[in-house]
Amino acid sequence: MSPRQANFSPYVPRPATLVRKERLSDMVSLFAFEPDDGRSLAHKPGQFIMLSMYGVGEAPFSISSPPRRQSVEFEIAVRNIGTVTNALHELEVGQKVGVRGPHGTFFPVQVFMGKDTLFVAGGLGYIPLRSLLHYQLRHRDEFGRIIVLVGTRNPQERIFTDQIAELAARSDVEVYETVDVPDAGWKGNVGVITTLLPQIRSLQPDNTYVAMVGPPVMYKFVIADCQKMGIPAGNIYVSLERKMKCGLGKCGHCQINGVSACIDGPVFKYTEIQTLKEAV
Amino acid sequence: MTAYTVYMEQLGPLLAEWSRRMGVFVPVQIQEALYDFVPWSEHEEIAWDYDVAYNSIKRHFFPPRENLIRFDAAACTATPVFEAPDQLLFGVHPYDLKAVNQLDQIMEGGAPDQNYMRRREKTVIFALQPQRVAATAFWGSMGSGHVDIGFDLFWTKISPNAFYVEVGSPRGEELLLACGDLPEATLAEREAARRERTRILAEARGQGLKYPWEETPRLLARNWDSKLWRHKARRCLSCGSCVLVCPTCYCFEVREEMDVDMKGGTRFREWDGCMLPSFALVAGDHNFRGQALERYRHRYFRKGKYIYDKIGELGCVGCGRCVRACTAGIANPMAVYNELWEAEQHES
Amino acid sequence: MAKKPKIAFFDFAGCEGDQLQIANLEETLLDVLGHVEIGEFREVRTGGKGPYDIAFVEGSITMPKDEERLKAIRAESKTLVALGACATIGGINCMKNFLGPGVYRPEVYGDRARWYETYDARPLRAVVPVDAEIHGCPIDRDEFLRVTKELLLGKKPWLPDYPVCVECKMAGNVCRYEFGELCLGIITRAGCKATCVTEGARCWGCRGLAPHANMDAARYVMEDRAGRSRLEVQDLMRMYLGYTSTTL
Repeated sequence: MSPRQANFSPYVPRPATLVRKERLSDMVSLFAFEPDDGRSLAHKPGQFIMLSMYGVGEAPFSISSPPRRQSVEFEIAVRNIGTVTNALHELEVGQKVGVRGPHGTFFPVQVFMGKDTLFVAGGLGYIPLRSLLHYQLRHRDEFGRIIVLVGTRNPQERIFTDQIAELAARSDVEVYETVDVPDAGWKGNVGVITTLLPQIRSLQPDNTYVAMVGPPVMYKFVIADCQKMGIPAGNIYVSLERKMKCGLGKCGHCQINGVSACIDGPVFKYTEIQTLKEAV
Repeated sequence: MTAYTVYMEQLGPLLAEWSRRMGVFVPVQIQEALYDFVPWSEHEEIAWDYDVAYNSIKRHFFPPRENLIRFDAAACTATPVFEAPDQLLFGVHPYDLKAVNQLDQIMEGGAPDQNYMRRREKTVIFALQPQRVAATAFWGSMGSGHVDIGFDLFWTKISPNAFYVEVGSPRGEELLLACGDLPEATLAEREAARRERTRILAEARGQGLKYPWEETPRLLARNWDSKLWRHKARRCLSCGSCVLVCPTCYCFEVREEMDVDMKGGTRFREWDGCMLPSFALVAGDHNFRGQALERYRHRYFRKGKYIYDKIGELGCVGCGRCVRACTAGIANPMAVYNELWEAEQHES
Repeated sequence: MAKKPKIAFFDFAGCEGDQLQIANLEETLLDVLGHVEIGEFREVRTGGKGPYDIAFVEGSITMPKDEERLKAIRAESKTLVALGACATIGGINCMKNFLGPGVYRPEVYGDRARWYETYDARPLRAVVPVDAEIHGCPIDRDEFLRVTKELLLGKKPWLPDYPVCVECKMAGNVCRYEFGELCLGIITRAGCKATCVTEGARCWGCRGLAPHANMDAARYVMEDRAGRSRLEVQDLMRMYLGYTSTTL
């Protein structure tokens, strides 16, 4: 039966139930959902969903959990800054939302296999990168070095602090963290995220793939520094946030010059977008 | 290709028959020198020689506001909403039809937009050879003077009381013969239609680009940093008129409203446009095109390059509606592209 | 909804036309009112005391003593909504501001001007923080319903930030400038469904300036392109848009 005969519309979400909710910082919480129809999202790292709080609206969220075979549960982490996110933060376990997706491109896991991965997570960028990172940790043998750079505006805005501390304690993961503005208790690095790059020991540029997500201002500086270190442009993957609205490449809001971030992205190989004036 | 001859006096019964089956829309004069499509009735006088319809016909399959889903907020369930009335647009000019064909490609590509597709499938299009060229139009130079696909019938007025009617689809032919058989067109009539087309195309080519339209994408690629964008955008009201009247623009916003009982609700889409200030604004107040200059430039790149990069034709068909709709007089793709072209000629 | 939110209506200098619009909703109003408890409503009933979940306040502030009352309402209200042009943008009351108190006070009160303490008219937000605005003169009933529903949902009410031109294009209207007429739709915040132009009139600007209104471009359109005099343009703009930092 074709989708048409099934009265199909790509604008109809399917229901999912909140199964877990966890506070990550003052403003950010983690939400775990299970689709009510028992069908997995079958997402890949870097993809996003459109989440509906009926009556309030629909908004895009990166999937933060890695692909899993044994469970249909998926996680998003959300900063409470808008109408939909406000409503989401009031949601209680057992209550439902609507979900469309997964949408968009993803980090090509196969390409990263056997190579070193440099994760560059600025601010909330850790949320989508966590999907790829946790996938690699689950299949640790298939990947080379895992280097994780985490930059946050200030210590209060750090998220997934326990998980990052666990990572830092592992011998097979290298974690570097920094904050732009420290507080009295902060003992780590201070400065923007590019200040971490020179600290990485004996990086092999040709064998290193970069996965980068952060605030709009971050990309061009990190990309420039990565290239200075000798990492080929084709090894750099970025995920670009725009105003995804329909998720289908129709509504026009997420356009970066001539490409739609929702279907041609959000994950781009840098060489695909380096000539686009509006990209980074 | 099959073609028939239809005489003016045969049209009345045909229109009456068609309007029994579906909503029929025809171009009429709505005010002094202004034309638009309106529902047909026997009292309407069809403006066979209209120059351009004030509103683009996209509203017939991409309405300004359209419901997408109905939802139950408590149960968190949703069902699609489809509305697709049978309709006939009689008198569509080739440049407008080219715009429809373009919308079809974009709405069907990737994940097909079912709301658009269903309306489109229920829409019969009878194209009409223009007899006049609007003062603001430049379709003759944009490759939009002629279109081979997308019509169910193509009408050319070959004498004060006769049309040469080319069949584009079985559905069109069936409607044409709904009141009985018609004579097939003669070679002489075919020749008369060809002459009429040649005449109007020659007239249309008189106003337009000063270079071949295929050069536009490359011209723009060289002119991202042109001073023209800032110069023109100073006068931009960011009112969106140019994109909203554009027959190839399809950007939309999605919103929703609860019913008065606060239980169910409707999610709908509404026309939006890249020229409006908060079009690219994301949560956290970052605006990816915060300046009028950036929005203004985006529109010309979209019309002249981005759409071309996607489907191999320009996103501007040269209808000239934006030229007219822009109260500040800055929205004119032909003038913008020509200015960029001429500036380059002076440099070299 | 466990407990019904308590709402109230208050008015300052204005014609109470907006509350009349709400009363005119009749059956639909009763449906919405099923979700709320009414505190005060001049046009429907009187009496009742705070605190309120939502206070709808109509009219502009024209006397120093209005400020005290408005501040008291603000203190008693979780959400304060400005209702109608007088409350949101100052409205036509601000026309007097261009005259100055030395002129308008004797003009209105004659030799008793000293008895009445009035000052330049201003919108609510000039005195207290305002949480939401329902623009228009008068307000659009559908917009009132929508905003009320959105507030009951805890949602920030949607308010277009683009000009009326957008809604004219949606309606398929013929632009007033086709005939060289003046129309403030090019700078006025949309949300009225372009109702005046749709009905054959022009936009008077009752919903206030759109946040990104390009005044220089608007003057160019009205004076240079439409060929209207500076004075005519000024008169039109001063009718509703009087309370602004822009020179009119």
